[in-house]
Amino acid sequence: MKLYNKITPEGTRDLLFEECAARRLAESRLEQVFVSHGYQEAITPGIEFYDVFEPARSGIPQEIMYKMSDQKGRLMVLRPDTTTPIARLAATRLQNMERPMRFYYNQPIYRSNPGLTGRNNETVESGVELLGVGGKRADVEAIAIAVQAMESCLPGFRMEIGHAGFFRALASELPISEEEREEIRSTIESKNYAALNTILEKLPDSPAVRAMAKLPRLFGGKEVFEEAFSLCSSPEAVETLRYLQELYEFLSALGLGSRMMVDLGLVQRNDYYTGVVFSAYVEEWGDAVLLGGRYDNLLARFDSPMPAVGFSVIVDAVAQAMLKRGQGAKVKKPDVLIFAEEGMELAGIQYAQRLTKEEGLICENALCDTLEEAQALASKKGIARVDVVEQKEIVKGGEGQ
Amino acid sequence: MKPLRIALTKGRLEKDTVALFEKLGMDCTAVHNKGRQLILPIGDGSIEVVLAKAADVITYVEHGVCDLGVVGKDTIMENGSRFYEVLDLGFGKCRFALAGPKGKDFYEGFSEKTVASKYPNVTRAFFESKAMDVRVIKIEGSVELAPLLGLSDAIVDIVETGSTLRENGLEVKETVADISARLIVNTASMKLRKQEIESLSAKMEEAIRKDLKVETS
Repeated sequence: MKLYNKITPEGTRDLLFEECAARRLAESRLEQVFVSHGYQEAITPGIEFYDVFEPARSGIPQEIMYKMSDQKGRLMVLRPDTTTPIARLAATRLQNMERPMRFYYNQPIYRSNPGLTGRNNETVESGVELLGVGGKRADVEAIAIAVQAMESCLPGFRMEIGHAGFFRALASELPISEEEREEIRSTIESKNYAALNTILEKLPDSPAVRAMAKLPRLFGGKEVFEEAFSLCSSPEAVETLRYLQELYEFLSALGLGSRMMVDLGLVQRNDYYTGVVFSAYVEEWGDAVLLGGRYDNLLARFDSPMPAVGFSVIVDAVAQAMLKRGQGAKVKKPDVLIFAEEGMELAGIQYAQRLTKEEGLICENALCDTLEEAQALASKKGIARVDVVEQKEIVKGGEGQ
Repeated sequence: MKPLRIALTKGRLEKDTVALFEKLGMDCTAVHNKGRQLILPIGDGSIEVVLAKAADVITYVEHGVCDLGVVGKDTIMENGSRFYEVLDLGFGKCRFALAGPKGKDFYEGFSEKTVASKYPNVTRAFFESKAMDVRVIKIEGSVELAPLLGLSDAIVDIVETGSTLRENGLEVKETVADISARLIVNTASMKLRKQEIESLSAKMEEAIRKDLKVETS
């Protein structure tokens, strides 16, 4: 029988040295930002009941979830995202907690992507959820923290905002069925102008149809608002636009300048997002590295309706981009190699502890029998200093020995 | 400034796209005399062409190692889409069709049908949309053989003129989808390099429109 005991499953990998250090650096910088704004960490189980993530609730297609069953035959999944478990927590155990509730998380999620595409099936995501309060104040907080989080890891990123309500408003003006609406949505999502026009040509001409046809092109800088205002007439669409423009202008104080963008054609599957949506992009990565938005309907699916906004940073992508920029963390190497003479082994370890405590040095214990071997090891590993713990005294090695 | 990198599907789509670029006044000498080079600068060097097999064009664009790609709708339908599909280039036209033995009603009877195809995902999606259970078998080469040998009741394949079908006693039963070449764009590139990409795609669109006018006039 073939044994798969020497390789990792597709879409997962071992991290060592620079890669490890870069990921930890990204995680700690993000955590610092989240904590500084009063967010508390939540850790949720790696295994949950499938029902928690039931596709209509979570917007996650069932075929990408890793499933198994428990002893009673109930269907379980490996956590495919962290927002849904935090919503579950907020709607159940935290019903009586003071609002708003602020949580951050840093944990892997698991998704079974099609094979041989090079996508990760295990991805670490770090993010925040702000639950229990809706409206502009909360939206501004979430986006401003997202900007700060990106700034702390990958300066020079682009931030993009949109609003799920804009498409909804335009779609409600069109005489279309649920299926046609989904067809239109998916062509806008993929910016498929040709297919969108084919669908819209069948509809009677109206301002909403003309606005819808332009929707995939309505992205860019603040000039987008002007064009969008001239296109839409319904009070709902206009109000959504005004709100988004207000947010945009508000956030321009963050100094992103032309790196702040708008895309009115951001339309997600399953109407998961209900209000503002935002994402961040960097040159080094072929997809968004941060995704977020307002999801006011999710908590109602757990019988505890409340507004919520949040975002997640794809930490693996951020760490990779930092490495590509040469801005990862240095891998920590020992400063001192300590060689203890026969009979002084314990004293050697104690000396190392003291050196670390008093001088903050990283000490490696030499596991060899002679000083010559220890010195050879030090030069091989590039450790500049060798200290010797003798019966009588400690002989400190100099730099470059 | 980093050049825009565009992946072209080797073969006919490559030739048609290069012809289109030349109409836009871009120097494509490097593509004509490519030798063994794999990344070819064209025009004033602001664009680089990569030649790849159809499905690889999608892979390169999805991962963002190429900003744009030219690929047939058939490949997009079979391989899914995590990119923007911004322009129907109008060339490389053909269609996906369901074809079976001449004179025989594919839908008759109550037994589960077997359909052979090089495009199992397209085939499955087509019958799923009809809420119809079929057995799909993937065939790599000449799919027309499958019904002739009795392996399947029908095939789903790309049809241009239909002459291969006729010669083998098969006929088109139904069109599954129309196909043509598409310009696709990586999602991050679209956001980071909007101006360059939109101006290129607008120029290409205009050139295609002009061609259409010439053809119809």
